[in-house]
Amino acid sequence: MTIELGFMCAGDTNDRLETDGARSREGTCVSEGHLAAEDARQCVRCGLCLATCPSYRESLVETDSPRARVALVQALEEGRIDAPLDGFANAFYRCLLCGACTFTCPSGVAVDRVLELTRGDLADEGLLPPALSDLDDRISRYRNISAEPNEGRLIWADNLPSPPTGLGKKQAEVAYFVGCVGSFFPRSYKVPQSFVQIIDRAGVDYALLGGAEWCCGYPMFINGELESARDLMGHNVEAVRALGASKVVTTCPSCFYFWKQSYPAALGTGDLGIEVQHATEFLADLLEAGAVPLREVRKDVTYHDPCDLGRKGGVTEAPRRIIAQIPGVRLLEMAENRESSYCCGGGGNLETYAPELVKAVSRSRIQQVVDTGAGTVVSACQQCERTLASAARAERVRVRVQDITELVLEAMGRRGRCLSRWRLS
Amino acid sequence: MPESLATVVIAELEELLGSQSVLHAPVDRIAYSYDGTFAQHLPDVVVLPQTNEEVASVVRVAARHDVPILPRGMGSGLAGGTLPIRGGIVLSLTRMKRILEIDEENMTATAEAGIVTADLQAEVEKRGLFYPPDPSSIKQSTIGGNVACNAGGPRCLKYGVTGDYVMGMTVILADGRLLKTGGKAIKNVTGLNINQLFVGSEGTLGIITEVILRLISKPPHVRTALVQFPALETAGEAVHAVLKQGLVPATMELLDETAIECIEEAMHLGLPLDVEAILLIETDGPHEDVVIREIDAIAAICLETGASRVDVARSEEERADLWRARRSVSPALARRAPNKLGEDITVPRSAIPEAIRRIKAISARYGLPVVVFGHAGDGNLHPNVLFDRRDPEQLAKVEPMVGDIFQMALDLGGTLSGEHGIGTFKLPYVHAALGSVSVDIQRRIKQALDPQNILNPGKVLPEG
Repeated sequence: MTIELGFMCAGDTNDRLETDGARSREGTCVSEGHLAAEDARQCVRCGLCLATCPSYRESLVETDSPRARVALVQALEEGRIDAPLDGFANAFYRCLLCGACTFTCPSGVAVDRVLELTRGDLADEGLLPPALSDLDDRISRYRNISAEPNEGRLIWADNLPSPPTGLGKKQAEVAYFVGCVGSFFPRSYKVPQSFVQIIDRAGVDYALLGGAEWCCGYPMFINGELESARDLMGHNVEAVRALGASKVVTTCPSCFYFWKQSYPAALGTGDLGIEVQHATEFLADLLEAGAVPLREVRKDVTYHDPCDLGRKGGVTEAPRRIIAQIPGVRLLEMAENRESSYCCGGGGNLETYAPELVKAVSRSRIQQVVDTGAGTVVSACQQCERTLASAARAERVRVRVQDITELVLEAMGRRGRCLSRWRLS
Repeated sequence: MPESLATVVIAELEELLGSQSVLHAPVDRIAYSYDGTFAQHLPDVVVLPQTNEEVASVVRVAARHDVPILPRGMGSGLAGGTLPIRGGIVLSLTRMKRILEIDEENMTATAEAGIVTADLQAEVEKRGLFYPPDPSSIKQSTIGGNVACNAGGPRCLKYGVTGDYVMGMTVILADGRLLKTGGKAIKNVTGLNINQLFVGSEGTLGIITEVILRLISKPPHVRTALVQFPALETAGEAVHAVLKQGLVPATMELLDETAIECIEEAMHLGLPLDVEAILLIETDGPHEDVVIREIDAIAAICLETGASRVDVARSEEERADLWRARRSVSPALARRAPNKLGEDITVPRSAIPEAIRRIKAISARYGLPVVVFGHAGDGNLHPNVLFDRRDPEQLAKVEPMVGDIFQMALDLGGTLSGEHGIGTFKLPYVHAALGSVSVDIQRRIKQALDPQNILNPGKVLPEG
């Protein structure tokens, strides 16, 4: 009877795929696929994830969708494909890891875990795309993503009006973890520069780690190389402990998310004994306590929620609390905001792997910014800001991209000579 | 298709569309092997055309080589309608997603088939206009797919189904010719109603590439009530009682206790977990006082009929949550069992309580849970059988159970599908539902339009 078609899976010739040179299933990719497959099993293929997935929404190709990635894991597990096929790894790395699918899925499929486990297996099998394995090699060697001498992490502090008080401190209540992009990408220097000026003004007792700060490990983890990331993670925790700090604050949402979500479990410590906060949480409390006097800034802004901070990290209100503290600033929300925010395109190492997809996603997001009518898009992530600024330039739209720390600094009436703002038109 | 043929077909398609729009890697074939069900069949090749001319050229390739060609939107269908059961070419319309025109004066929208229905709705609503059909898959289905399946949705109780809004379309026929049907004229009896022939044809008669849709004014006022029923059957009776009074709410959505539990697990909205059913009832219209009076009157009737409590949403946010919950019910069932088979029967409205009684009896007889939800106002119920396909004993029960449910619907004067379509899943029951004369006529129509049987073969009509 026709309905039996519904149950056809393994064994039917039409449903079985083999490719030339396919390796045997044993010992190959997703040999541990059972774990991923367990998560994948709950997928009823309703397709709701397609509506939220930036990769799919831009390419309009099902293979770029979370549903397809889940189906590929199922196909492997059910033996309908034998081995990693051409394009299998590609499907798993053409993903921004924005987490919209996992957040949306009404069936409760942990697509993020499916991706994580599968990427882990792919990396174990040596199937990590070369561009991404190069990145991991760089991090292992230099302890940062830029292949720069790691001692140069504080170069951004050189041209501040006065040296940050956290410089060279051996003991402090708070450790400021700057992150690789803020440390090494000149266009992002303004983020740590602004942040330290604010917390110096508030009299916060903090320390900068300098060369003792290593890459948080997140880029390796998302490439599927958790093992390699562990060394970095362990080192960072020790470096913060050595300061006697009870809190680590980071301006980078990815560092924040990884420290908060993965450090305790990956290091097997349960509780790190160190509070992890994103800079927006830290600043919201400071500003609400009146620790920094703010002047009126008359402008309309919209706020872009970084995926790692908002949807994945659960911090959506702190940045809005900060904006609310600044007199004169009017916040105009984008159509997709907070947990439903659309990725800027800068996530998941895709900039390294599929730049054309990054461009397409960021173009859509900058259009959402334009639709609000706000002249400035504020965010709290140096990576989102780089990506959005590039999109604004490419699309020739008159929108300014600003880190939330820069906005606060503006309200403090400070415009240090080093703090060149991006004027985009 | 044989590998040698596939190679030739792929080469021709790449020549026509460019290799960027022709996918045939194993991963791509897997990605296009399924729809919104658990079934799967591999296509040989997938194409993503962007113009009518490209669609026509692909159809001509299929005709020349006599290979199946299946139009596909976002693949959220629930009847196996886009499964490439005989391989062939899957023609994805997702890249044809332009709105060609919104004619505010004539209140029509013309759009390409691949636009997401929710996107089209949002766009017309910016102009104060309204496209009412609202299938639960509104965010992950396309207008073309909606027309090809004659999709429904909660609001169809008051506003009618997709087909009621289709005024015209562009169709690429099996021989590659371009057919225009209907138009913007409201009254049109020139010739046969070819337009409606293609509505619900599931890609078996032609490939719909553009549609002209009728729009109405957006009703500015809405009230939404969540009505609780301690007994499932009284919810069915309440639906009947309300409509008998001449009140026509926009929606009357029924959810049984398991459906409520699954949604609550997924969304934590504070839905009642101690009742057998809820009805989600909405009134809307141009006058706020009338909309409020109607919801009050409906609430009173429900309470008289056995409802234990009525809550009216106090904000747009609360209302949006309720509808998000309703739209999530089908996938949320995965929290109870790894697999589900969602059916789509329709019965005459007065038979709803009896239909629910019989569905529960069938469930008890086979020992597999059946969740019931659906558009109670128009007699369209979605009994979903929950099972685990890895358990052969459970798997063996599903088909006869579904057969019993179909038979029950026919016995009560209803039919197999209200809005999902026949696809592949309901084929064995089509004869019983339609009768041999109707099947014969429909086969002749198919034969006339697609003599080679290349358009989505093996769907909708049992082959003789």
